[in-house]
Parts: sequence; structure tokens; C-alpha cells
Amino acid sequence: MKLNNTFRSLAAVAVLASFAACKPHIKEATPNSGTADFSRYIAIGNSLTSGYADGGLYLEGQKNSYPEMLAAQMKVEGGAEFYTPFFDEAQANGSGYLQLTGFSATGSPILTPVTSNLAITGTLPNGTPSYTKFTGAEINNYGVPGIKLKHVTTAGYGFANGYFGRFLPGSPDPASMTNYLDFVTAKPFTFFSLWLGNNDILLYASHGAVVVGDDSPTDKAVFGALYNQVVNRLTANGAKGVVATIPDVLSTPYFTTVTLAALQAAVAGRDLYIQTGAGATRKATADDRFILPLSSANVIGKPNAAGFPYGLHPLNPIASSFVLDDVEQAQVNDYVTSYNTIIKAAAASKGLAVFDANQTLKEFATEKVINGIKVSSAYIKGNLFSLDGIHLTPMGYAITANGFIQAINQTYGSNLSIVNVANFRSVKFPAGAAVPQ
Amino acid sequence: MKKILLSLFVILPFLGFSQSFQVNLQGQKQTAMGGTGTGYAQDEAAVFFNPGAVSLLEGNGVMGGIHALYLRSAFQQAGSGVNEYNKDRIATPFQAYAVYGAPASKLKFGLGIYTPFGGAMHWDENWSGKFTVTSLDLQAIYIQPTLSYKLTDEIGVGAGLVYALGKVDLQRAIPINQSNGESSTAQLKGTSKDFGFNAGVYFKDVSGLSIGLTYRSKVNAHVKDGDANFNVPEVLQSGFPTKFNATLPLPATTSIGFGYQATDNTVFALDVNWVSWHAYKALAFDYDNNATIEDTNSPRNYKDAGTVRFGVQNQYSPKLALRAGIGYALTPVKEGYVTPEVPDANRLLLSAGVGYRATENLNIDFSFLYENIKARTETNLETNLSGTFKTVVYIPGLSISYKF
Repeated sequence: MKLNNTFRSLAAVAVLASFAACKPHIKEATPNSGTADFSRYIAIGNSLTSGYADGGLYLEGQKNSYPEMLAAQMKVEGGAEFYTPFFDEAQANGSGYLQLTGFSATGSPILTPVTSNLAITGTLPNGTPSYTKFTGAEINNYGVPGIKLKHVTTAGYGFANGYFGRFLPGSPDPASMTNYLDFVTAKPFTFFSLWLGNNDILLYASHGAVVVGDDSPTDKAVFGALYNQVVNRLTANGAKGVVATIPDVLSTPYFTTVTLAALQAAVAGRDLYIQTGAGATRKATADDRFILPLSSANVIGKPNAAGFPYGLHPLNPIASSFVLDDVEQAQVNDYVTSYNTIIKAAAASKGLAVFDANQTLKEFATEKVINGIKVSSAYIKGNLFSLDGIHLTPMGYAITANGFIQAINQTYGSNLSIVNVANFRSVKFPAGAAVPQ
Repeated sequence: MKKILLSLFVILPFLGFSQSFQVNLQGQKQTAMGGTGTGYAQDEAAVFFNPGAVSLLEGNGVMGGIHALYLRSAFQQAGSGVNEYNKDRIATPFQAYAVYGAPASKLKFGLGIYTPFGGAMHWDENWSGKFTVTSLDLQAIYIQPTLSYKLTDEIGVGAGLVYALGKVDLQRAIPINQSNGESSTAQLKGTSKDFGFNAGVYFKDVSGLSIGLTYRSKVNAHVKDGDANFNVPEVLQSGFPTKFNATLPLPATTSIGFGYQATDNTVFALDVNWVSWHAYKALAFDYDNNATIEDTNSPRNYKDAGTVRFGVQNQYSPKLALRAGIGYALTPVKEGYVTPEVPDANRLLLSAGVGYRATENLNIDFSFLYENIKARTETNLETNLSGTFKTVVYIPGLSISYKF
């Protein structure tokens, strides 16, 4: 038995020694930035770039923006620190946002605004909120919710949009008048992402193609001139970059969730009437796109002064601001297509990488499976879009980040790793039992 | 001895596989010789390897053995330059055998308890494939009472009834987020009790040549009323199932083996196994509540696959035997069907071992098996999980046998 013990110890030693060094080997990538230089990356864009989600900009969304994800992958390949102008922990809820708090008896989601710990400090002259100033010395993520391409050269835009205003000093400091393009290009950078232009058509569409404020679609020629001006400015000092196309606005849940069938189901199948963009009244068809706020507006069937029920009678039709008729849809699509043609041509002229966000997001109109996750543009259960039906969930932003990464790698020969989509959440469900409604 | 045998019953779930989730670790001598044993019988493990050979064994005996199975898998997602690894686990497949027959009798009784199928794959809770699987623990214990009859001094036949006890615990994340942002999870857990058989014929002549032929039947492991534990947000809970039924086929194996006593001290053995994996068409779960999720039916579409094994034993001294072996196993998993719970591919088997005769009656055997599973890069057709898997397995083992 003595030999047995010896064998046993020998075996134990052999086992331990070999186990320590026995990881299976798959060759891991050696960091390589190709012809790009990621040492200072800046992100230029609107709400999608800022990490806006659930109808608001708040700290968790900011942390899960696609530029944060890109920067984390670039860091492996020589990227420096990346700074997003985060809201403070004490004001983590930023602008406020929507939370899913339950479902009604008929299964409709109940959304409740979060109103605590906001960063709102007051009201700007145009009635929109101003926010606590960002005091950090460095900014890399210049995403400004609500900004249109047509705003980027507007002096004093910080007084019209509190999300930009929070980066700037207050008046009377002359720097408070700085326009967006000058502001983002003030410090040298080596790489940029540019995803502007959505709001030039989206905001118009989101009001049912009814012009509210300055939300008329940006003229195509103006868009073209400005886009090239921005690209020229960004590449003037040799920086490389990636641009993204404008998503297919009408395939977002904001325009696809409230269907004619769903509306009719609530009124025993009766015909519905709409006011078209041209001012005519006609019977609604399955091709008309109703906007998401119609479901919570609670107006269908309410009689007007003359006693006609809202939406159910030609003399009290659903307002044009709740619906995109066929003509309006064609108009919106035409703008998106034209803008994207401009974007791609501008990118091609400078050899920039193009992430075709329009194509990528459109593919989710039918369900796609990613790493075992069913992802689609369906509202809430599709995992891709946040509760506002327009902006993405962290998982949606991760999918977007991977689209950017693939475009960058393809154009510049870099080998940025994709992000792990499974690590990012989609819509949060409430704790506890359903809230009775 | 009784104590050792008893202690084997309380062993934790083991992991590992020799071809998909089949585990070919049923005897230390055989494992050391590349897993051969159908055509060359030398101890009580013949109850498993060839029931026909049991009646030709000399004397009576009991043996018990255990393996420490250490399996490491790496995964590199397509488009990522970074590897993810499964968690460190040591699993312990075991075997216990008893053979008894009256000295003059042509009939021998055998009992075997062994673990021919199993798996224990644990990935990180947040790994890139967490929505396909986070862990699988699968365990099949076969209890096999056996009768073996010596037709002539050269030919034995035998058969055993297999009582198969199965246990499964499959876990994965579900892409529905809790209020804290964490994913929901599902755990499917159940047990099964089913029957099968193991039969063999064994021929051995004076020239030193032996031949064996065996058939181990398929066992359909039926899990009835297993627990479906869905940890989902409370508002959705009522739509999720609490119970499930499932059937996992543990496939039939047909083997032919040859042994050749080349010199007084040296034996060569060759085995060919054919596993009827085509029975594993889908991993399907039938839930008791389909309000929110449908029954799942994940195609597996395995194909039959063979293994070739070659082993050699040298009786170095009266007390010491040296063994070595090599084998090659073809994967039953077709392209597009590789899953992270069993990231299978063709594999090379290399083994070695020593046997030590401590006393006239007491034998101690050690084995070491190394399996190198080829790297495999593909996209799963069901989940679209795309990337490269690579797995290596290290399995030391020890057994003690006592002859009387």
C-alpha cells in the first residue's frame, strides 16, 4: 500500500500541474487599429448618440450609449479615456423618463413618468427645460437630444436646447453663443462618429406630419450643403470616422404599434375616420399609421360638442396629428431616402466608413434571433426599442454599436471586438404584481 | 468494500463526454487502453464492456473506480477577439462491478453500476450565449444485473437488464428584464427511470485471439412532470409554466472488439463502436402552460457516429502492468447544430495507465485519459450563436478490485 500512496501523490501532482496549464487555445486577436487612430474619439449626434431612451435622457441610458460601447472596444486598441457628460448621481434621472409600471386589464402597458432626482433647473425662452451645467473638463460624447443637422451652425443654439446648453457657460459669457459644430471641433480629435439628420424628418413625422414649431422637414438642398460642411470640417485635420444613415422612421414601434385593427377591436369593429394631411376626412385604412401616443390619449369615442364620437364619425375624425396617411408616409420616406443618399455620397467622397443603420434596423421588422435572443421592432417585447417606441434599449444600442464596429473594421482594417449583446438589458419590467387599472 | 461502493452513490453530478454526451469511462484498465474492452476482457468491467465475457472470467471479484473529469471549453464569438471559458468543475463519473459464480458452474452473475451518459457544462451567467444555455447537468446511472453463460470453454454469451436513472438540470437566461435590469432565468429540472439492456458474445481461443460483439440498447429517458422554474417578473409569472415533460434518447451502441495476446506479456486490443445517435432528433420541452411561451423544440438532428480505439498492455513485472491507448471519435453533431451545452467535434483520445497487484487478491489501477476535441467554427441554425468552440478534457482515474 505504500506504493499506492506514492502513486496517489504523484497522480495528484500530475493532475494539478496539467490542469493549471490546460486551457484550450483559440487564438485571440492582437489589437490592431488598422489605418484608423482611435487615440481621441468623439461622437457627434442627437438623442441616439447621447443614450436617450424611454422618453428621456438619464444616467443609466448615458452609460449604455453606443459611443460608450465603441470607446470601450477602442480602448483595447490604443483609445484614450472617453468622457460622456454624465448627470450626477444625485440627479441621475436627468430629464425624467418613462417607466413600465404594469399592465391594464386589457394588457396595455402602463407607463409612469419618473419625476424625482431630475437635473432640470428651469425653463428656456422656448419653454423647454434647462439642465444643471456639466462642469467636467472633457467631453467625448457630444450627443444632444433633439438636435437637427440644420441646427449645427446656429449661434446661440444652447439657449434653445438645454441638452446643448448644459455643456456651455451661461450668458453673458460670449462662449454661451458657440454653435454646435464649432463646439465639438474645438479640441483636436483623431476619430469621429457622425449620426445626425434623424430629427430633421423624425420630429415632423412624430407629430403626425403636422408642423409644430420649427419641425418642418429640413430642405434637402440645405441638408446636403450642411452635411458636406460638417464632414469637411470633421475631416479637415486628417481624422478618420464613421457615419450612420438615418433609420427608417416608419418602422419604429412609435408608428407600428397602434394599428387600425387594434383600435377597431376596442370599438366593436366600427369604422374609424381620419383627417388626412391635406385636410380631407376619410375612412381609415390598414395602411394608415397611427402614432403611439394615440393609445394613451384616451380620445376615441369621446363625443364632440355636436355629439359625434371622436374617430367614429366623419364629422369628428381622428386628428391629422395622430396619423400618417399614405401621402404623408410617402413624403417621410422620400426625405429619409434623400437624406441617406446625401450621407452616403458625402462619406464616399472622404473615404469614411458607413454604418447603414437604416438597413440594420429595418431588418428587425421581422423577428431575428441573435445569440438565442428574439429581437424585433415590436413594442416592448421586441427587445430593440425602449418605451418611447423611437429610441433604443441598451440591447438595441449594443446591436447598433456592433454595426458601427463592423463598418469601422471593414473600412480601416482594424479589428475592434464586437460587444456582447447579451450583457445589455432590454425593457425593464416592474417589480411586484401588476398594478390594477 | 461495501463502504466504498456506498460512497460512490453520493457522488456529485459528473460531467464530460466521450462523444457528445456519451461517457466512455467504465473501467480503469480499459480507459488506460484507449477505451477498448469489447474484444479483450480482463476484469469485472466486462459486465459493461461485454456481458458475454463475464462467464469466461477467472474467479469472482468486486471492483469500484472513479474518475476525476476536468473539461475546459473555450468560445470565441465571431467578430470578437476575446475568449470566454466555461467554469472550472471537476466531475466524477464512477463504476462499480461484482461478478460471482460457483467454481464449477458455467453460469455467472454480474452486477454493474456505471454512468454511460452525462454532462456538466457551466458557462458564466453573463456569457455571450447565456440566452441559449448557462448550464447543463445531465446524469445517467445505469444499474445492470447480468447473467453470463459459458457455452464452451471458448464462447460465452451474456445479457443484462439496464435500469437507467436519469437526472437533468438545464438552465438559461431569458431576455426579459427584471426591475433591477437583470435577465430572467429558466431552470428545467427533472428525473427519469427507464429500462434497457446490454448483451454480448465473446470468443476466445488458445492461440491468444479474442473477439467480442456487444449491443447496448437505446434508453429513452422520460422526464415526466419535471420542475420548470421560471424566475420572471411577477407581472408575467402567471403566464409561465411550472412543469414540463421531455424525452432524451440515450442512444444504442454496437461494438466489435478484438484482442490479441502477442507475447506472454503483451496484449493488443482494438474496438470499434457505432453509436446510433440518429435517435437524438430534437431537444423538446412540453410545458404545462403555454400562455406566454410555446413548447420548445430545438432540432439536434444527430447522425450516427463511430469511434475506433486501440490499446496495448504490457505486464512489465508480476506486480506491474503498463497500458496505453489511442482512439479517434467522430462527432454525431452535424454542421449548424453545435450547441454550447455540448460543443462537440471530432476528437482524439490518448490514454495511459498502470496496474499494480498489491496482493494476490487486491489490484489497484490508475488511468489517465486526454481528449482533444477539434476546434469548430460555425453558426447555430436555431440561436444564431456564431463562433469557435475548442475543448480539452483531462481525466485521471483510480480503481480498486478484489478477487475471491
